[in-house]
Amino acid sequence: MRNSEITILIVVLGITSYAMRAGGYLLARFIRDDGNFARLLRLAPGNLFVAFVSAGCLSGGRPMLIGGGVALATMAITTREWAAVGAGFLAAMIASSTGI
Amino acid sequence: MAMTISNQRRDPDQLSPFTVAELRRGFVAALPFILSNGTAGAVMGLTYKGLGLGFAQSVSFSLVVYSATAQAIVVSLWKLPLPVVAMVVACAATNSRYLIMGAHLRKMYGVVRQRDILPTLFLLADASWLMATADSARNRPDPGYLLGTSLPMAIGWIGGTAIGYACPGAAGIPLGKVAAMLPIIFIVTLLPSQWRGYRTAGPWMVSALIALLCAPFLGASWSMLIGGGCGTLVSALRSGDA
Repeated sequence: MRNSEITILIVVLGITSYAMRAGGYLLARFIRDDGNFARLLRLAPGNLFVAFVSAGCLSGGRPMLIGGGVALATMAITTREWAAVGAGFLAAMIASSTGI
Repeated sequence: MAMTISNQRRDPDQLSPFTVAELRRGFVAALPFILSNGTAGAVMGLTYKGLGLGFAQSVSFSLVVYSATAQAIVVSLWKLPLPVVAMVVACAATNSRYLIMGAHLRKMYGVVRQRDILPTLFLLADASWLMATADSARNRPDPGYLLGTSLPMAIGWIGGTAIGYACPGAAGIPLGKVAAMLPIIFIVTLLPSQWRGYRTAGPWMVSALIALLCAPFLGASWSMLIGGGCGTLVSALRSGDA
């Protein structure tokens, strides 16, 4: 993997991210908060996240399921992202190293 | 994320002030994010180290892309040769929520000088948008406040990535496992913010089922996009935002 490939990837992803951030502001006259397109954009992330987690748990096996479950429970209780990431990650690592 | 839209909006043709006082007030209000974003950023730094990226590349990722969700998704798709198209599509799809946030900001602030708003939008984050939206219901909307709240979040995330990468204790951690587990755990923590009640369950089950069926044949990247796309379509065909 060449450094130039990674640099190009970072630039392309950076442009994509900024286009999303600035695009909404610049195109605001054409997007209605209550329009169908706006609704589709609101619905997409949650469904993508679920699909992503499902496929990831399938490949990661039991440690990934345990880590994900602990992260979800911690997030539901504390509503603190950093606490949920830490707890879930720790649980997954323990499960992986102990062969659960 | 619950899209709570403030009722306080400006005349679309009125020039909105961008004040240093509001920038300072937003910065102070968001200071705790240096710690929380720094923690998550440090884990991302460890992950990049596990993938074999250099220090400058790792920090550049967090600086230029500056999206924890998109970065986590991209890391999960990492393989050789790099699936660039899938990565860009996933990045755009996961960040599409910023289109709505940006459109809402335009309506909330009215006209803002481009030299003020365009750099501010570069640092737009979910939490800074929420803080600015909530604040606009109590105070006069000011884009300076949005930039002020965004800065500690960016400092935490980018600085955390650098610290995590440079952390000497990282030598004892199986970094390959870190790289595989972190993105999924990170995305799991975002799920509660996307839950809109029991009506969300159906589309989410469709997303999960299609992704699980596709994963053995198409790999993680395309199964996510196809599964998520099917779930989104099911959601869109029903009434309401669930």
